[in-house]
Amino acid sequence: MSAAAIVSASELTRRYGEGEVAVDALSDVSVEFTQARFAAIMGPSGSGKSTLMHILAGLDRPTTGSVTLDGVELGTLDDRALTLLRREKVGFIFQTFNLLPILDARENILLPLSIAGRSVDEAWFEELVDAVGIRDRLHHRPAQLSGGQQQRVAVARALVSRPAVVFADEPTGNLDSAASGEVLELLRLAVDRFGQTVVMVTHDAQAASHADRLVVLGDGRIVRDGEALDAGGVLDLMKSLSR
Amino acid sequence: MTAVVVRGFFSRKLRAVLTGIAVALGVALMSGTYILTDTIDHSFAAIFATGAANRSVVVVPHQGLGATAAVQTATIGRATLQRVQRVPGVAVAAGEVFAVATLFDSHGKRLNTAAPSFAASLLPPRFEDFSTVSGTLPRNGGSVAVDEATAQRDGLKVGRRLRVAGATTAATYRIVGILRFAGSTSFGGAGVALVTLPQAQLLAGEPNSYDDLVIAARPGVSPATLRERIRAVLPRTLDVRTGVQEAAQQTSDLESQLGFLRTFLLIFAYVALFVGAFIIFNTFSITVAQRTREFGLLRTLGATRGQVVRSVVAEGAMLGFGGALLGLLAGFALAPGLDQLFKAFGADLPDSGTVVEFRTVWVSLLAGTGVTILAGLLPALHAARVTPIAAMREGVPLERAQRSPRRRRIVFALIIAYVVVRLALVVSSGAGIVTILVLVAFVLAVRVPASRRRIGKVFSAAVVGLAHVLSRPLTWRGSITARLARDNTIRHPGRTAVTAAALMIGLALVSLISILAAGTKASINQAIDASFAGNLIVQNSSTSGNAGIPTEIPAALRAIPGIAQVTPIAFTEGKVNHLKGTQTITALEPASFSRVYRIDWDRGNDATLAQLGTTGTVLTKTFASANHLKLGQTLSVLTASGRRIRLAVRGIATDNARLLADLTITLALARSAFSQRVDALDFVSYRPGVTNSAVQPRVNRILAARFPQAESQTAAQFKKSLASQVDTLLALIYVLLALSVIVSLFGIVNTLVLSIFERTRELGMLRAIGTSRRQVRQMIRYESIITALIGGVLGIALGVVLAVVLAATALSGSGFVLVIPVATVIILFVLAGVAGLAAAAWPARRAAKVDILAAIATE
Repeated sequence: MSAAAIVSASELTRRYGEGEVAVDALSDVSVEFTQARFAAIMGPSGSGKSTLMHILAGLDRPTTGSVTLDGVELGTLDDRALTLLRREKVGFIFQTFNLLPILDARENILLPLSIAGRSVDEAWFEELVDAVGIRDRLHHRPAQLSGGQQQRVAVARALVSRPAVVFADEPTGNLDSAASGEVLELLRLAVDRFGQTVVMVTHDAQAASHADRLVVLGDGRIVRDGEALDAGGVLDLMKSLSR
Repeated sequence: MTAVVVRGFFSRKLRAVLTGIAVALGVALMSGTYILTDTIDHSFAAIFATGAANRSVVVVPHQGLGATAAVQTATIGRATLQRVQRVPGVAVAAGEVFAVATLFDSHGKRLNTAAPSFAASLLPPRFEDFSTVSGTLPRNGGSVAVDEATAQRDGLKVGRRLRVAGATTAATYRIVGILRFAGSTSFGGAGVALVTLPQAQLLAGEPNSYDDLVIAARPGVSPATLRERIRAVLPRTLDVRTGVQEAAQQTSDLESQLGFLRTFLLIFAYVALFVGAFIIFNTFSITVAQRTREFGLLRTLGATRGQVVRSVVAEGAMLGFGGALLGLLAGFALAPGLDQLFKAFGADLPDSGTVVEFRTVWVSLLAGTGVTILAGLLPALHAARVTPIAAMREGVPLERAQRSPRRRRIVFALIIAYVVVRLALVVSSGAGIVTILVLVAFVLAVRVPASRRRIGKVFSAAVVGLAHVLSRPLTWRGSITARLARDNTIRHPGRTAVTAAALMIGLALVSLISILAAGTKASINQAIDASFAGNLIVQNSSTSGNAGIPTEIPAALRAIPGIAQVTPIAFTEGKVNHLKGTQTITALEPASFSRVYRIDWDRGNDATLAQLGTTGTVLTKTFASANHLKLGQTLSVLTASGRRIRLAVRGIATDNARLLADLTITLALARSAFSQRVDALDFVSYRPGVTNSAVQPRVNRILAARFPQAESQTAAQFKKSLASQVDTLLALIYVLLALSVIVSLFGIVNTLVLSIFERTRELGMLRAIGTSRRQVRQMIRYESIITALIGGVLGIALGVVLAVVLAATALSGSGFVLVIPVATVIILFVLAGVAGLAAAAWPARRAAKVDILAAIATE
């Protein structure tokens, strides 16, 4: 394990069901994500990429293997400790934005802090608002925002607690290409300017091309782990893998 | 997190309002009950306190059986008054008579039928706590003054005639004055005819004696000192109290009597609250299911399970508090309504102003909030089981996190403990059969949400089956809307089950009560037919106030040719040593009684009655076996006057007509040892071959001339009048239970609205493929009707089952005849359907308004 690894998983296996109907969504996956880097996880449907992310984020438990997140071994934690860990160290960005419709943009961004009962670092909040560019939309409800704006609010929400790692689950899946580009630029900015670690699950080649590193899963195993490629390169790679 | 709760609460306004109303209705009845009874209480307390102000000390007969026993006590003789007058420090001592009486105007119309009336004696001026509004006080034997409320209500004026019927032959007086009592127009709703002392004694049938003594102290002698001195010279059969103590005593006596009314009404409030709890439970369950993704998101963002539970509970608390507050305020309006309700059913209760005790406020708020929180607890725990993954993507199946059976059990235990405590409170204040019914309903009903796994499964299966059967008339012609409606009701059988269960509780109680009432009427008829061998029954024409009838009637009637027997019967109470509470006692004249009444002897025979004398008693079989009393045993019995007598058990009888009480004694003993001065009934039998038309008119003429408070009835008329009493009580209970049914209708509305919201997309799709708005409305209406009919069928079935169980257990051996009032049952079923239709009116319109495009685009 390198010194700067924020999330590391070793020999992860996740089995669903038992006996003859048992399916291994992940088998023997070991992977590390280092600080201030932007990693993309790709793979066809059913390759286990979502399962991997859920386990890395402490949302699901591996059948065997272990995960360490910012120095904490997740296997030993109970539900409550896992919850507190998510609160402190993990940020999430979802495909469907998942903003609370009853709260306005500002309140949605601050939601993780209010759940944790932490006070707001106003300077950091201001900086974030400017970075995601929704200053004039702060008091709008999600229903009054475009998809791209909603996802940018969601990015701000993921960053507001300065987590050790941000997991993004298909962040561009529901966006048009312009909005997708904005959101990906934003994630890139978070990594470059704020030193944020980002792990993104996607099957959008364009999205993956913004990352520093590309991990590809197939049938629950890592089939490629290396430097990121441009969109064309990713497409070629995916084509070659699905053959 | 607070923001999430508060915003969430206000963003679901409609749901909050509907659920809040479900809570509010029960709370309104609760606070209305408290306000009404407190108001009555305070009205009387004010009257008592004013009365006490003029009296330093009062002497009253000791109530050996406690204040609630409705029996006569011994009077106070003239010698006692003279002894008191000689006590140093006594300025004035006077005897007072305050006897139950019946008032009639010059046309013979009975006055003040809603409350008891009294004949009171005029006291020396310094004791009087009334003023004349017009005219003067009665100064001679021919004059009377009446209270202002009675005068106003019945149009009495100075100069008119007033007839007063007490314990003897009625007397006619000329009205000389109209009175106002201590600032209030009425003496707590009762009519008062004030006459001179000798006239009052005459009316009370107690010449030379008094009901109580009132004493004024000389200047410089404190009431407490004077009380001590008087206490020292009087026997223990008399109570001596200062005026203030007496007022406190009267107030507390009244409170214990009002306690019954309060409990009676509160039972219906609890039932309504309980039904409300079902609705809250259902609403929260549905909303929690709809908010799965929201809870998943909160959990992903680091909210603990505790935080999720607390957020749902906090919402419940807000909702409950809001509903309770609404209910509390509605109670202000409801209290006068309840008062009017009782007036309509023949009980006039005094109320001046509106008394809101702090207790009313906190009990109402606590009950409403508490019920809501408790009912929302299970759904809240359910919300906590939502896994974070639920937020990640659409269509991720809800994985059940490990549940904690121990915690679940604790929650159930808490809910059950709450119900038990509540019930214990109700039962301890003794509200008879209604309490037991509610208890049974509680036990049955609480198990539905409690162990939903087992009973809920059966219940759900029943719902699915019933939905199919009940929708048959709607679906048989292949109506697609009816089929969709049916399938919607069984889509979430649990949800429909709980919605229907809320209606079921109300309807179960309604049908149970109607079956019990029908059975009671049938039992009365059967028992009278079996036991009564006479021709006429004479009793007071009013059932309120225990007025009784004069003991002179039998002698007067025996003079009529054609009458063979007249036998008087009286009721009193006593306390048998070592037994709990007081026992009811029937007193009769042995020689004549057995000729007009057939006793079903278990031990003994008709000759046993003749041997009772003043030392023997006959027990009813149920009483004897419940207390393990045997033939030959001697009982020590305390009378209301404080005397203790010994009675040997000479016989044991079964009496389904319930004329014979726990104990039966001779009338002679009741007169001597129990101070019983009036009778309850006279049984009259004719000579052979005499027709009713030849005798009853003559009986009625004598009654009208001398005893206008009494009326004669043939057995058929008597049965009819008893039936109408049962019907009156039944109607009152129906009105009070209607509230619970209304609460459950809000539940149907709420469930419909929530499931329409849930199905917005589906409704849009239906509209998109050509379903008309009318068809959508139709579908929702059918859905509602099916749900309501399920509740109706289950409720009626439950009511019938409970009635059968009661008849076979608690009522077995009592001669109870089980009768299912088919017409009532059918009406109830139809009403359930109509109620369902009414509940659907608004949700159906809402569903029909769904915007097709928006619905399809909804996330």
